[in-house]
Amino acid sequence: MKEVIKAVGHVFIKMPQGLLVTLKHLFKKPVTLDYPRKKKPMMPRYRGRHYLERYDDGSERCVCCGLCAAACPADAIYMEPEEGEHGERRAKVYEINLLRCIFCGFCEEACPEEAIFLGQEYEFAADKRNSFLWTKEDMLVPHPRKDNPFKKIIRRVRKVYGVTEQ
Amino acid sequence: MADDIKDKVKTDVPTVTFTMDGQEVTVAKGTTILEAARSIGIHIPTFCWHPKLKPVGSCRMCYVEIEKWPKLAVSCVTEATDGMIVHTESDKVKRGRRATLEFLLLNHPLDCPTCDQGGECELQNLTFEHGIDDSRFDFQKNRFTSDTDNTVFDDKRIGPEIILNRNRCILCYRCVRANKEAFGEYDLGVYERGNIAEINAAPGQQVNSPFSGNLPEICPVGALTSVDWRYKMRVWLAGKTPSICPYSSSGSNILIYTDDNKNLIRRVTSRCNDDIDDGWLSDITRYGYQIANSEERLQTPLIKKEGKQVEATWDEALEVICNRFKEITEKKGKVCIGGLISPSLDNASLYCSSKLFRTVFNNNNIDFRTDYRMLPNKPDSYFGMLCNRSFRITDIDDSDVIVVLGSDLIREHHNEYLRIRKAVNFNNARVFSLNPYSVKSADVAQAEIVYNIGTDEIILVAIGLAAIEMGLVEQGLAQGFKEKVKLGSLAEATEVCGVSSDDVKLVARALAGDGKVSVIVGELITRSHGREAVASALFNLSRLLGIDKKGQMAVLARYANSRGAEKLGLLPIPTGAQVEMLKAMWGKFPDAEPQTTDAMLALMHKEEISGGLVLGGNPIMLYPDRQFITEGLEKLDFLVACDLFESETTELADVVLPMSSWAEYEGSYVNLEGCNQVACQAIKHIGQSKPAFEIIRLIAEKIGTSLFESDEQMATEIEQLLSCEPDNATPDNFVDVLPLSEEVDPDFPIPLCICDDPHHTGALTQKAPSLTNFTGEAYIEMSPDLAARLEVSEGQPVRVESPVGKIVMPVKVSKHIDNDVVIIPRNFSQIRVTSLLMRKKRVDRVRITKVDE
Amino acid sequence: MFYSPVRTNAAEVAQSNRLHLFRYVEDPEQVKVEKFEEHGGYVAWKKVLAEMEPSQVIEEVKNSGLRGRGGAGFPTGLKWSFVPKDSPKPRYLCCNADESEPGTCKDRVLMERDPHAIIEGMAIASYAIGCHQMFIYIRGEFAHCADCMEKAMKEAYEHGHLGKNIHGSGFDLDMIVHTGGGAYICGEETSLLNSIEGERGMSRIRPPFPAIEGLYSCPTIVNNVESLASVPHIINHGAGWYKSLGTEKSCGSKIFSLSGHVKQPGNYEVELGFSLKKLIYDKDYGGGILGDKKLKGVIPGGSSTPFLTPDMIDIKLDYESLVEGGSMLGSGAVIVFHEDTCIVWVIKRLIRFYRHESCGKCTPCREGTAWLEELINRIEAGRGKPGDVEKVEEICGNILGHTVCPLGDAAVMPILSTLKLWRDEWQYHIDHGKCMVKTDFEFK
Repeated sequence: MKEVIKAVGHVFIKMPQGLLVTLKHLFKKPVTLDYPRKKKPMMPRYRGRHYLERYDDGSERCVCCGLCAAACPADAIYMEPEEGEHGERRAKVYEINLLRCIFCGFCEEACPEEAIFLGQEYEFAADKRNSFLWTKEDMLVPHPRKDNPFKKIIRRVRKVYGVTEQ
Repeated sequence: MADDIKDKVKTDVPTVTFTMDGQEVTVAKGTTILEAARSIGIHIPTFCWHPKLKPVGSCRMCYVEIEKWPKLAVSCVTEATDGMIVHTESDKVKRGRRATLEFLLLNHPLDCPTCDQGGECELQNLTFEHGIDDSRFDFQKNRFTSDTDNTVFDDKRIGPEIILNRNRCILCYRCVRANKEAFGEYDLGVYERGNIAEINAAPGQQVNSPFSGNLPEICPVGALTSVDWRYKMRVWLAGKTPSICPYSSSGSNILIYTDDNKNLIRRVTSRCNDDIDDGWLSDITRYGYQIANSEERLQTPLIKKEGKQVEATWDEALEVICNRFKEITEKKGKVCIGGLISPSLDNASLYCSSKLFRTVFNNNNIDFRTDYRMLPNKPDSYFGMLCNRSFRITDIDDSDVIVVLGSDLIREHHNEYLRIRKAVNFNNARVFSLNPYSVKSADVAQAEIVYNIGTDEIILVAIGLAAIEMGLVEQGLAQGFKEKVKLGSLAEATEVCGVSSDDVKLVARALAGDGKVSVIVGELITRSHGREAVASALFNLSRLLGIDKKGQMAVLARYANSRGAEKLGLLPIPTGAQVEMLKAMWGKFPDAEPQTTDAMLALMHKEEISGGLVLGGNPIMLYPDRQFITEGLEKLDFLVACDLFESETTELADVVLPMSSWAEYEGSYVNLEGCNQVACQAIKHIGQSKPAFEIIRLIAEKIGTSLFESDEQMATEIEQLLSCEPDNATPDNFVDVLPLSEEVDPDFPIPLCICDDPHHTGALTQKAPSLTNFTGEAYIEMSPDLAARLEVSEGQPVRVESPVGKIVMPVKVSKHIDNDVVIIPRNFSQIRVTSLLMRKKRVDRVRITKVDE
Repeated sequence: MFYSPVRTNAAEVAQSNRLHLFRYVEDPEQVKVEKFEEHGGYVAWKKVLAEMEPSQVIEEVKNSGLRGRGGAGFPTGLKWSFVPKDSPKPRYLCCNADESEPGTCKDRVLMERDPHAIIEGMAIASYAIGCHQMFIYIRGEFAHCADCMEKAMKEAYEHGHLGKNIHGSGFDLDMIVHTGGGAYICGEETSLLNSIEGERGMSRIRPPFPAIEGLYSCPTIVNNVESLASVPHIINHGAGWYKSLGTEKSCGSKIFSLSGHVKQPGNYEVELGFSLKKLIYDKDYGGGILGDKKLKGVIPGGSSTPFLTPDMIDIKLDYESLVEGGSMLGSGAVIVFHEDTCIVWVIKRLIRFYRHESCGKCTPCREGTAWLEELINRIEAGRGKPGDVEKVEEICGNILGHTVCPLGDAAVMPILSTLKLWRDEWQYHIDHGKCMVKTDFEFK
């Protein structure tokens, strides 16, 4: 008998208690996002897709020195250098295989010209394997990055011919 | 005997004993501390020091600390003395080195990412090793801007294949010193002084010597880089394969850098072998690899159908070859097939071809000497004896007297050319250059004798007569020598040669002395048909003056594996020992009449040979009578040609088979000393090409006989043949010298020599773009005097006519030539040089007229 | 006839029986061989040819105690005796007239006004070492000196003092006047030899020393003009007489080129061991400091030697005393600075010279002098940064003793000495951005 009363008590007391929790959450702000209609803002140091940067005059920063490829632990970067019209060194082919990439950011750290950096975007889904092979043209796009405070810290003076006084 | 002297010298050298880093070291007196350290494996960093150059002690990197010395010692110029106590890694030494590095880096730009030397840069490595990560120099760096074109990187092209960046230069002077000491070139120099001193090409000149490619290689930083390697790939990504140069007969040791992703060779560097190349490569060796990468390579077999060559599969091609050869042999007998084999192929290919002809076709119609004229069809000639003499490249180094006869070494034997310079620089050797025209390589010669062309044997006789006249030889020998000579006196002989007797006496005196002798006989003799007379005259001279007892005399093999071809019996008439050995191995040896290239071509004209196999090479371009060989090959019923490229010869062929280049398979090559060296496979086969030996074996299998039961069998047979040492035989007594003289046709007065360009060799190098950057087209080289008489200047076209042909080509005026001989390089197919030649002539003569524009 | 307008103490020398080099330099006719012979010239040469064996000459010069006047002070006779006696190679003598040390102008006066004395000395030296071909290497800028020497050489040939079978002795001697291209480094003997050979003027590694393997790999002796000019006097008057001049270890007389802030700059021949104070203040010599100011410092032997301070004014001018005093006799160029001189400015001028003259062979000298110039320019202009003085000191330390030839050492020795003596002045430049010395003249 005692058991029966206990069970009935559960139904009428404990259950509404539990449901109350659910009810409470109904009126709370949801933790999930309405992806893909809404997107989560990423942390400043998040490492997403790769960008190749240009100089202010529009020329490519990348000189195809091969250090990013050497630093890459996943062997995701392939490049072929060529001679530009002014005798400069630049990349003829620059490919990153995003399927291999582990977004460790070593390439960014290795780059002596600060040409490559990892942005905030993370949506790479595609229906063909080939489309994961990002070429130079895919990465040499205008990027939304503003002055990143962390960049300034690691930025060193890298002028080839030294600095001028004053 | 020579070896005995050498060993004696080695053991007699006094030694010194000293302590280095706690280790007791004993070295020969006169050894520097740096060399001693290297010999026991202690690494002392250097920039200006180079093992093949005299030390200057300018970079101040190789400091060591010697106890009781007030200052740090520069180890590259400090000789070790008894009881020295040397520290190579003390704090003081490290501080000194660090200071030097700091100084070097002051004005060194930080453009490592764009520098081609990055990854193999000595400055980079040492900076990393010494942990210099920041600069205390806070001023603007010195900057040299390019004055020719406004490039962002200040790079300046100072030669067809060299780029100079003066900002990166650390002024170690290695390049200038190598140019001067090793190559005898003065096209690169130092200008200005102090910290604005710069290395640069001489004003208005290009760095284009045949050894210019060595300069980027010895540059410790990226100041001199090669156009060939420019921005191709990072050095750490390249695969490295040890190999052998397929062009030079001495077999320079090379390292091939490959891009394995793209199956391309990227560059070639030296793999220093002191016994052979001494660490220097000629440009031909360095850039000649480009033929392997060429877009024009034959990719598939071609079969001639209705007068046009169409692509086919290997099976089809082999089927056709097999059927046609069978047809011909059934119709005319097996002697109707002849083979011209390139001496640049590896041992296996040469041996397989020999075996194919001798066992399957059962004849002796095979030869590799496709650019010789009038080869004798009889065995045991004196020339053959001369070819079968041993020669060692390193023996040139310690020779006291070097005689070069009939060879412009810079055009044919680059390594030996540098060796001779080395012998002069380090051993004070006396060099005598005997040539029909004045050559560049004679600048180190004590006397250069320019004799009348076509009197090669008489100049040797004159030397003998001079020695007799000066009383340098025994009476008995002198009598024997004089009997065999048709000329009575020295004056008569020098008159015929057109030389001064004083010069000849100088050579005679040197050769009669006690010093070690090297006599080198070159291509101008071997290719001409005065070779037999020269060989007999040389043997007489050798008997008279005892040359063969005092050193070496030899005909230098010309192509990468000429020596191998001789050793493997690829000649129509192998030596007796070879025949015995081959009989034992094969169980049979054909008794058919042996036919040399000339004889084969004559038989083709008579249609007695109607099937032909040309394996590599391009005989039409190189054979010294273009009309004769073209007609001969055209008359063939069936011709198979295997080559890397389409050529004049493959055009005539009924079946063309694509052959792999030397880098695409492992092969061994015998250099001119008889040293067998292996070239490893660097890249995969291009297209459907196959190695030559595989092609031959496939043909044999298709015909129905397998040449070998296994690969091992092939290897052992080759090894057995190669183990035959040269017999160094000389004739038992003085032999008859039969001078050949020719009538000079007054209509064609000017003698013509066909040579290789210093930047080319044979027919293939014209496909290497870097080499054509140096010389891209044929020219006729003549003395300024002749040019003035013809009223032409550099670059103007002239018409060159011989009784059989006529060509037009631009003039190149060479100041060092001072007689009327003209020289045309044979390496360019656009101009058919060999069409001027007549195989029966000893000296080709031409008429030159100005072309009026 | 053009004379360089240099004041000399010829009048005093003419009266002295001890001084000899400058005896006739004020005589305009002295350049002519007749006058020179009248003054007792070529007597020693004839005497040597007629009476003396080469070994006797060497012995005589050795006994005289003559030491090289070019800077290092190596005994001349000893140097000559290093030439191998049994070498089958020809020997050469080079007279080093590449006088480029800032402050030195003694050889120039000798070449312009008494060229035959040099030729006679060279001839005697050639005879002593058995050389038949001698060179005089004259600084490129001294075109006029080269003219004088050429003329004198021609006259000497005409009078039979040079050429074949000289004065019937059977001795042949030829002479070549060689002018340089204008490089300080060619005053260093191995660079000089390179330059004569037609190579770049860059020093060679020693050993082998030139006496064993010099010009064209043959035994070669290189001597300073002044040393050679003293030789005839030694032969004439005997080694004993020469040895009695000067001090015990520094024998003979020496020409001092006095310059800087003195009233009467000029060349003064005095015996070695002469007082520095007398040289500067005596009315026959320097005549005191310009404007009667206080002395600040003296460079006693050309710009490559360390400074002396006023408290060392009583020092004797000879090889040993100066080394004791922390400096060197060098080439005998005494440069005087008065109290209003900015020492950093002095160093700035000196380092500019050395940077320009560095040949570019050894890394420390080539790069270091350029760096020093930049740094010192900055300090002098008052833009120096804290730590710059220490940096200068450290760079100097890294150059000192790290080069093939002494140019690197020469460049940094005066710097190191001023850093030791007047460090506060250097520091003042850094701290205050200006000089602590009030200067009354314009620095350029």
